[in-house]
Amino acid sequence: MDRRAFVRRSCLGGVALFLDHWGTSPAYGQDLIPPVPPIHVNEPAVTAVSPQRMPGLYPGRVVEISDDRSIVSNRVSQSIVRQMIDRGMRELTGEQDPGQAWSKFIQPQDTVGIKINPSGAPACCSSPEIVREIVAGVQSAGVPARNIFVYDRYAYEMDIGSYQALVPMGVRVTGVEENKLDVSGYDPNIYCEANFFGEWETRSYMASIVSTGVSKIINVPTMKDHSAAGVTGCLKNLGYGTFNNVDRSHRRPFSFTDPLIGIMCSVEPLRSKAVLHIMDGTRMLWHGGPLSQNPDFIFPAGVIMVGTDPVAMDTIELEKIEAKRRDEGAPSVWSRDPKSLTNDGGAFYQDASKNLFYRQPHHIAAAGKLGLGVSDRKQIEHQVIHIA
Amino acid sequence: MTRTAHDWPTLLCDNARSGGQGPQPWRAPGRSRWQTNVEGRVRGSPVLQSELLYVPSQAGFLNAINIHSGRLQWRFKAPAAIHSTPSLSSGRVLVGCSDGKVIAIDAVTGAKSWETATGDEVWTSPVVQNEAVFFGSADGAMYAVQVETGALKWKKALGGRIYSTAHVAEKHVHVGSGDGNIYALDSDTGDVLWKTATGNGIDCSPALANGTLLIGSQDFFFYALDAGSGSIRWKYEAELGITSSPAISGDLVIFGCKAGTLQALDVRTGRVIWKIRIGEAITSPPVVSGTVIWLQAGITFAINLSDGKVLWRAGLGDSLHSAPVVTNQAVYIAGREGEVYALE
Repeated sequence: MDRRAFVRRSCLGGVALFLDHWGTSPAYGQDLIPPVPPIHVNEPAVTAVSPQRMPGLYPGRVVEISDDRSIVSNRVSQSIVRQMIDRGMRELTGEQDPGQAWSKFIQPQDTVGIKINPSGAPACCSSPEIVREIVAGVQSAGVPARNIFVYDRYAYEMDIGSYQALVPMGVRVTGVEENKLDVSGYDPNIYCEANFFGEWETRSYMASIVSTGVSKIINVPTMKDHSAAGVTGCLKNLGYGTFNNVDRSHRRPFSFTDPLIGIMCSVEPLRSKAVLHIMDGTRMLWHGGPLSQNPDFIFPAGVIMVGTDPVAMDTIELEKIEAKRRDEGAPSVWSRDPKSLTNDGGAFYQDASKNLFYRQPHHIAAAGKLGLGVSDRKQIEHQVIHIA
Repeated sequence: MTRTAHDWPTLLCDNARSGGQGPQPWRAPGRSRWQTNVEGRVRGSPVLQSELLYVPSQAGFLNAINIHSGRLQWRFKAPAAIHSTPSLSSGRVLVGCSDGKVIAIDAVTGAKSWETATGDEVWTSPVVQNEAVFFGSADGAMYAVQVETGALKWKKALGGRIYSTAHVAEKHVHVGSGDGNIYALDSDTGDVLWKTATGNGIDCSPALANGTLLIGSQDFFFYALDAGSGSIRWKYEAELGITSSPAISGDLVIFGCKAGTLQALDVRTGRVIWKIRIGEAITSPPVVSGTVIWLQAGITFAINLSDGKVLWRAGLGDSLHSAPVVTNQAVYIAGREGEVYALE
């Protein structure tokens, strides 16, 4: 028998966020997007709030480390990303010793999940080189390799990225879904429920590896445009990478990634376990995300961002992708021009002026309103360190 | 059990990765003799012996399917997922499991003969040579066990996880490792004879042609090494990592790259004979059969060996690692979602 106590939250994101958005999101104001239905959350009762739960130990703080040598000829340099992550962890925590920095988040008795983003594999996904350095950092905090899981929802995407072969020995590489429509890897007691478009299954369940398998999560998103969410960063990688049946929140040209992404990230125990985010910006996919393999849209940005506040980090990511799109002459991810919409996936993957959805970058600010972090740019402490 | 002309007992038919079929006229498949589904996704390639096609699945089943009717003859339930391509030898099917075991199963009855354990998952294909079975494990070790009993002959710890199926010659075992090294081991003792470093981990399986060892790496390079010394004869730079294991036909080596290109190089020089872009990331091995290359990459292709021209394509058989079994009578294809086809 499952002895965990559960509580049901209702309308947290649905009505409350929707009303709040009405005045700020141009799409809602122009009646371009249908109303958000109520979203119900069933989650375990939290008896004590973890001080590390998002936005974590350093709300509003983003450390960005850049080094042009981190990616050369489309290859990520192991030694350079090691220096970048060491520096980022020390700057974030104020510790001189990288091992001490990791110990701020991870204890020897922890079982640690490293949530990668393989969805753009092989062209743009969490670099195995960065994952290796994170494994080394977790091990430096005293966690044995067998208690480290590199995971994502989709086993086959991890397979395309060859993560099984490329991570250190002893580390477990786990896909939540091995088989089509396989729900065995999900916790039936923790879910978000909403009927967006009349779909037959209205629940999205939390992955069991998150609810019961690990005690801490290190989130490793990539820096990417997202055709529905605007960008995919810390929040999207965590929310939609934890719950199943999330594709149903999109139906062209509409998407309810705002507010569903933030609501999912707020569900316990995900919110408490995700203690650190290390964003892989060695490659930036500035159009065609999350799956595009088109090298024309992949830019060697040479950046890694470190923080505990996913909202602040995604706010900076959004700024960077917007800037790059501007440089490339592509429309803003905030664009609501119906003329930019296409139903032709081929056109979307070849033409940066086209999109499949009205993008929803407002999901970041919505997550901020749920207490997951700081989205007000003026309140974000963005430290930029350019090594070389 | 004697091998017949159409048997296909191991990855890419034989230890030479040749595809096994001699010159024959190209005939596009005209119809499906049968189509069936196995339970679970399929990652490993099917193998064939006599009347039975053996299809592994990630639901943990080894399925023996009658090639005439498409009906399941028997299926064996392993204790964990099977990602490995099976091998056939001495009346047994050998297959690796995600619980770290390699299991030998009677090829006719489906009864377990023996099992042997390693320290982590075995996704590689067991390779049989001279009464021994050779395989690598994610625990970082290469193993050699007796084919009759599964008793350990030797175990050699290498430097990284092993997802590369070994190439085994009379005296040597060649294998790539997650530590980025290509190793040559003594097949009798497991001693390391040489190792050659690449710039990233390896999950590609090597092939051997005229004393040249051929293998791709996730460092985007395809390597041709002197099989005796490990020295690099040439290397070819691809656009992304190389998982697709090479197939050999005469002086040609053919392999895919994750950027979606399939290329044929001259084994002797590394010169590009032809290169085509298929569109999807290619991680499956190509299969050479006569004058045709078969490849599962999003869909299934038949490609002219001499110039890379696509001869035939069909929207079936999406696969990350599975490769077709090609005989004179039929082409057997297992797709990622568990669908299995006999095309003739």
